[in-house]
Amino acid sequence: MLEIDGLHCRYGKVSAVRDLTLEVKKGELVTLIGANGAGKTTTLKAISGLLAPAAGRIVFDGEDITGAAPRTILARGIAHCPEGRHIFPDMTVQENLDMGCYLRKEPGGIARDLERLFERFPVLAERRRQMAGTLSGGEQQMLAISRALMSRPKLILFDEPSLGLAPNLIETIFEIVSEIRAQGVTVLMVEQNAYAALELCDRCYLLESGEVTLSGSGEELLNDPHVKAAYLGG
Amino acid sequence: MDQFLQHILNGTILGGTYALLGIGLTLIFGIMRVVNFSHGELYTFGAYIVYLFAMVLSANFFVSLVLAMVLGVVLGAAIEFVLLRPLRGASIDTTMLVMIGAWIALQNTEQLVWSGVAKSITHPFPAEPLILGPVSVSWVRVFVFAVAVLLIVGTHLLIHRTRLGKAMRATFQDRETAALMGVNIGAIHTATFALGSGLAAAAGALLGPVFVVYPTMGDLAALKSFAIVILGGLGNFMGATLGGFILGFVEEMGAGYISSGYRDAMGFLLIIIVLVFRPTGLFARKERVG
Repeated sequence: MLEIDGLHCRYGKVSAVRDLTLEVKKGELVTLIGANGAGKTTTLKAISGLLAPAAGRIVFDGEDITGAAPRTILARGIAHCPEGRHIFPDMTVQENLDMGCYLRKEPGGIARDLERLFERFPVLAERRRQMAGTLSGGEQQMLAISRALMSRPKLILFDEPSLGLAPNLIETIFEIVSEIRAQGVTVLMVEQNAYAALELCDRCYLLESGEVTLSGSGEELLNDPHVKAAYLGG
Repeated sequence: MDQFLQHILNGTILGGTYALLGIGLTLIFGIMRVVNFSHGELYTFGAYIVYLFAMVLSANFFVSLVLAMVLGVVLGAAIEFVLLRPLRGASIDTTMLVMIGAWIALQNTEQLVWSGVAKSITHPFPAEPLILGPVSVSWVRVFVFAVAVLLIVGTHLLIHRTRLGKAMRATFQDRETAALMGVNIGAIHTATFALGSGLAAAAGALLGPVFVVYPTMGDLAALKSFAIVILGGLGNFMGATLGGFILGFVEEMGAGYISSGYRDAMGFLLIIIVLVFRPTGLFARKERVG
């Protein structure tokens, strides 16, 4: 479904991602793990069009989307739930969700999806008239995820959805991610919490200083001595 | 007491157009991070368009006002498209210099086309004032105030109730995430600059018939717009609205009780006081764009 071939990304003269090749198949949950600055967020930004790659090709559903505008890529079916939630703080919960379906034109479908989301996240329904900036961290993450879902993506990119949340909430967020995949949405997730990422995923890529150094099923990486030593605390 | 009431009334009426100027400038700064030095020229442009249609071409006065606003929007969109779009991502200093250039170019064009001689616009309102108990106000000013309030309310509704307005606020709050939602940031910039320019042109079109029209009339208007925006907090719609009215009151009181020669100085005195005690503006961060 998503094929990335030889991707290079640069911030000025500094290479953030070098010759990255990865693939996500339809229905998969793939994770990207690695240390801070390994190029995980950069990779997601290149996919969603926030960043123009210096070289390489990104193909989605057989169509070359390299360097396309974010709204074109969103319209093709890729939603990006950014790191640090990035909800619109001075807009209501409802308005944030409205922004999530900004490009959609069918009011009937939007209303149905909204209803389903409110059933799944009753707290958002309760707070729909409240400013999003006043929500707790966990609620904001649920809003960010719901907002990304409102575009009805085929592929959803999660960037560190567990960042800065309490342990019990982190579990909830990962459950939500699994649920989303179970509903048939393909997931590519960046996660620093390597153990959780490997437990959850079908396949995983390890990024180190901008390059893929290892890839395989979650189980393979869990048992890999290098991963064990460097990312799973021995 | 009667005199005091009269000043309050005059201040309110003046404040309406000041608010229009301030809202236009604050939206442009808030959403685009552009310090728009050409704002005053849009004000002048609005006034000259009314002069052109109402006086030179003898068109209907009200039609001329509408045309001035529409053409203000068009000119704003053109400036954004030609000058600012290629500079997206450039530093604020660069865009500031470009806008200073636009200001000079527009002002000299006005001078060239219309000469430096002040022009007056006749309006269809009765000469005798509206008398309300102890105070009185000319009908043309009542009209100016009513239109200004309509435009302020309309802009507020546009920002809060429409899809475009939501996208503008989202862009203001988090540009990158707005792009991820599918917002066309370039189009939002054009729309914002066009709207802000249209409001400045509307202010000029409304005040042109009250005062006289001359090529440098926009300079003071621009300075006052900056004062209002600083007063209200950068990028703050409510702040700019209230800031406009506060400036109107302060000028009117200063002119009435101190000296009319210091009318324009009053606003700037106020800015100095505000900047000393509340450098982020009177209403900063309470409500941002919208």
